[in-house]
Amino acid sequence: MSDRIEGVKKLFTSKSARVETNKGESYYLDLFERCQTRLSDLRASQPANRLDFSEVLKDNSIDRRDFMKWVSATTAMLMLPPMFSPLVAEAAELMNRAPVIWLELQDCAGNSEALLRSDGPKIDEIVLDIISLEYHETLQAAAGFQAEKQLEDAMATFKGKYLLFVEGSIPMGMNGQYGTIGASGETFHDHLMRVSKDAAAVVAVGACATFGGIPAAAPNPTHAVGVMDVVKGKPIVNIPACPANPTNMVGVVMHYVLTGQLPELDSLLRPKFAFGYRIHDNCERRAHFDAGEYVEEWGDKGAQNNFCLYKMGCKGPMTFNNCSIVRYNEAVNWPIGVGRGCIGCSEPDFWDKYAYERPMANAKIKAPAGGVEKSVDEFGLGLLTAAGIGIGIHAIASAVGGKKDDGGEA
Amino acid sequence: MSSEYKQVKRMTTAGRIIHWANAISMVVAIITGLYIGHPYYQTFIADGAVDKYVMAWNRWGHFIVAIIFDVTSIVIAYLFFFSRFEKAYKKVIPTRKNITEFFEVLINLVTLNRRKKFDSTHGDSFNSVYFLVFHLLLIWMLLSGLQLYVSGLESGISSIGNWWPWMLHIATDWTRVVSGGTVMDVRISHHYSMWFIVIWVIFHIYYQVWRTIFWKEGDIAIVFGGSKFVKEN
Ligand code: HEM
Ligand code: SF4
Ligand code: SF4
Repeated sequence: MSDRIEGVKKLFTSKSARVETNKGESYYLDLFERCQTRLSDLRASQPANRLDFSEVLKDNSIDRRDFMKWVSATTAMLMLPPMFSPLVAEAAELMNRAPVIWLELQDCAGNSEALLRSDGPKIDEIVLDIISLEYHETLQAAAGFQAEKQLEDAMATFKGKYLLFVEGSIPMGMNGQYGTIGASGETFHDHLMRVSKDAAAVVAVGACATFGGIPAAAPNPTHAVGVMDVVKGKPIVNIPACPANPTNMVGVVMHYVLTGQLPELDSLLRPKFAFGYRIHDNCERRAHFDAGEYVEEWGDKGAQNNFCLYKMGCKGPMTFNNCSIVRYNEAVNWPIGVGRGCIGCSEPDFWDKYAYERPMANAKIKAPAGGVEKSVDEFGLGLLTAAGIGIGIHAIASAVGGKKDDGGEA
Repeated sequence: MSSEYKQVKRMTTAGRIIHWANAISMVVAIITGLYIGHPYYQTFIADGAVDKYVMAWNRWGHFIVAIIFDVTSIVIAYLFFFSRFEKAYKKVIPTRKNITEFFEVLINLVTLNRRKKFDSTHGDSFNSVYFLVFHLLLIWMLLSGLQLYVSGLESGISSIGNWWPWMLHIATDWTRVVSGGTVMDVRISHHYSMWFIVIWVIFHIYYQVWRTIFWKEGDIAIVFGGSKFVKEN
């Protein structure tokens, strides 16, 4: 009986939002062993590049203590118990054995920028620096046929082993001609299909690669879609947000290097360790939300007192992401921290459905019947007025010409 | 005039209690729901955040009436099929008889009561279908509302037991898919549906009053005393 219940439970909730933070001792002991074997295998293998992690840390004047702090934080973020810390530290050093190919499709390169433009590289960025980036369309020096050759080489050498990172959406309109790459004029779609074929897994980073993002916003002129809409039969991880948080990219690579597997995903293929929680539930302004204290306009008394940004259109209550916990730029700050609402950048269709800067109830969105954009309440009041007029006409007509059933007296 | 009026029982006590519990809950749900959607009063009062708790109370009120709706819906769903008094589902099955009755009642409304060719002693098909629409709207409100609610229970833990969020996921995760893919779509739909319910309520009240005035059978009394009066001839 109990395993039947378990089965039903699994069937229905495997893709649900539930976040299991404690999977029990035997699970972790078992995982620990598997990770150890995995790491010793990796250590024995040939590093793909010669970068030495501790050297790089030293060059950036990050001491052991800072590194260990980072290790604890990363272990906790991956929802692993503290006993995994030494393994996480080891995995960080072995990052140069994880071959990565990075494609750049229809986008603004914001996710690469997020990695590169930090004020001084922090450990997250360094870890991503030393992963063996075999091919990165934006960063590499090679161009033209030479770049093409480099890609072919990387794909052949690490066949079935490389992680494919994809940034940007895939334009499907006009046979994909909105975006082509390379000397042969290969469309983004064909390019992605070719390179994803031999990847161990595909990691879509940023709002565009995951759900189409801004290129896919109405009216979506290029018919942009996300990676999971075209790549089938491959493990895919989505790390949405605009830009994706480097911490979460590291988390996914780290999890892969450590366990050889992808982290647990939600129904939108987002890792639960990062997207299992709502912004709203970990927001520092939440007390003001519950109190009914809202910023009414930019710069008012409420804004000066860090009141809740709900009435300025904050979409934290409908957005799953961990920026309210890990923040950006090595936890310096995050959007709501600097006083502007969440625009739901980690959710599908965020530009159309979340990013208007007022509460949904008050925003002009497409009415269900199509046509002019109205707020839900305008639409509702419109319907109500129509109904009211209808009823009014009926009432007057009844009063004037109606027949009262009173036993033939009238 | 010699015709006698006979009293016919139309609603049980339980039915009337449910009706009024629903009516009051609906008013509360609409007032608190609109506040949740766009907080429209009391933002600057000089108490500490913990003391006023305005949004929290509104959400609390909204959820309490939601639970009342939940429970009464289950009771109503049961009565719909198994009531010993009047099994309402028999009136919404599209049989020839029901369809004819449905249109006769509609024609009665449109012709301003000039034509009345059905038996108004018992509940009629038109009203039964109209109520069915309401119950479908209400069920949608419940499920979409519970989906919004369960997104705040992401740890899967609840003070009343982990079965609660688990069950809510099973029962309501599909609302995301059908309303457009995101939690926001569920919320948009939840808000639109409120307006459909408001319109439903307005016509419902108008129609019951209209019947009372034009049929002269005291229909409005059904919901208070449980019965109406029809002429015996
Ligand atoms: C049938 C009567 C109901 C009406 C008229 C109603 C109306 C509303 C409205 C207008 C909103 C604001 C939406 C917005 O603009 O953002 C809302 C929000 C909400 N409603 Fe309802 N609702 C009803 C029933 C329910 C039920 C049965 C539940 C179940 C628990 C529920 C749960 C919620 C939740 C969770 C929210 C969002 C609150 C938040 O995020 O803090 N509602 N409702
Ligand atoms: S600022 Fe946004 S996320 Fe924070 S409490 Fe207010 S509505 Fe929620
Ligand atoms: S606060 Fe919202 S919009 Fe801003 S980065 Fe986080 S999820 Fe994206």
